[in-house]
Amino acid sequence: MGGAERNARKRKQQQTASRSVAQARGVAGGDKKKVVAITVAVVVLAALVIGGVLWTTSSKDSTEGKVIGAESSATVAPDVVQKRDGAVVVVGKPEAKKTVDIYADFLCPICKQFEEKFNGQIFEQVNNGTLQVRYHMLPMLNQRSDPPGYSLDSANASLAAADAGKFLAFHDALFKDQPEEGGRGFDKAQLIKLGQDVGITDPAFAMAVNGGAYEQQIQDAYKKISTDPALQQDFGNGPGFGTPTVSANGQVVKLEADWVQKVVG
Amino acid sequence: MGTLARLGLAAVWLVSGALKISDPGQTYIAVQAFDVLPDGLVRPVAIGMPLVELALGLFLLAGFVTRWVSVLSVLMLAVLIAAIAQSWARGLSIDCGCFGGGGQIAADQTQYPQEIARDLGFALLGVWLIVRPRTWLSVDGWLGNSQAPADDDYVGIAEGNE
Repeated sequence: MGGAERNARKRKQQQTASRSVAQARGVAGGDKKKVVAITVAVVVLAALVIGGVLWTTSSKDSTEGKVIGAESSATVAPDVVQKRDGAVVVVGKPEAKKTVDIYADFLCPICKQFEEKFNGQIFEQVNNGTLQVRYHMLPMLNQRSDPPGYSLDSANASLAAADAGKFLAFHDALFKDQPEEGGRGFDKAQLIKLGQDVGITDPAFAMAVNGGAYEQQIQDAYKKISTDPALQQDFGNGPGFGTPTVSANGQVVKLEADWVQKVVG
Repeated sequence: MGTLARLGLAAVWLVSGALKISDPGQTYIAVQAFDVLPDGLVRPVAIGMPLVELALGLFLLAGFVTRWVSVLSVLMLAVLIAAIAQSWARGLSIDCGCFGGGGQIAADQTQYPQEIARDLGFALLGVWLIVRPRTWLSVDGWLGNSQAPADDDYVGIAEGNE
């Protein structure tokens, strides 16, 4: 082994040694900080994603497993008749002279406000035998629940409840516990449970809910109603149909504080 | 200036993300109202978008990998601007729901030019940070080779520096 060769090897070893010292120093300094920063970043990201998905899912599914409250708000006189006529539910005493049509969607928040505000006044007149109400429950916001379909399912179930003479209790309960738009509505099992809780015993009810017995009639009625020029209002986008809409004598009623009085005359 | 841009853009993302995630139902309606996504994608986007916004906000707030986060911010804003522009062009009447809210509104209440101008302003902050990602009080500075926030050559650790 020559001297030059030995020197070269020695130089190589020295180079290697100094390089590894530098690497070791790097790990102790900047690289260690980077490891900390990256670890923190990954942990924060993971927590954000897991927490966010769990929170959003539980929030949108807040109606899951819920029992819809069955206690009714308005007291209805015992001789008030509630019966289904096609896709319409007619409520009132037979001698009532005035009639209003109410067009609503069980998912529509303004319809819920409408109910809260006017249900008392409406039922004062209905119980007096002066007013008959024709309810049109429509699937206007059928795409606005996740999964879609709550508007139609609930409208169909309310018609089935009308067959059992329990439309009003069913209707009031659904508005009282209204699901949020953009979230999960109530499924058919929950609607059936509500029907039982308001006193429906006929097994035909559950069959009508599960089978969507009145869906086609509701869709057809909605198509006709939403294109009826007499029912259009300007909500800011030019004439169009929206819920809630009230009509009497073939004309849209302006929903002022005393509209019920005005209709009854 | 760079620090202000960073913290400002961080605040934008954190606020908009927090408002969106606090009302998942409304966010779903807002995403749906843009009417560009197939039904099956509306929910994933409505869940994911607030999370992406919050993540961008947190990273900017910390000043970590600022340049890359700024690139993502600008891309995200470009997508949002495109979404607003398409609904404007198609004549939809919606609120962008950029900071919560959103969905269909009356035609005379739309604010497409303002919404787009605002998002362009945010995008400018992002562009500034892409060009000059080094700022005061940032994790990047803590990790970096030099103390001063004027190192234009710095490209962030995601690219490595060896």
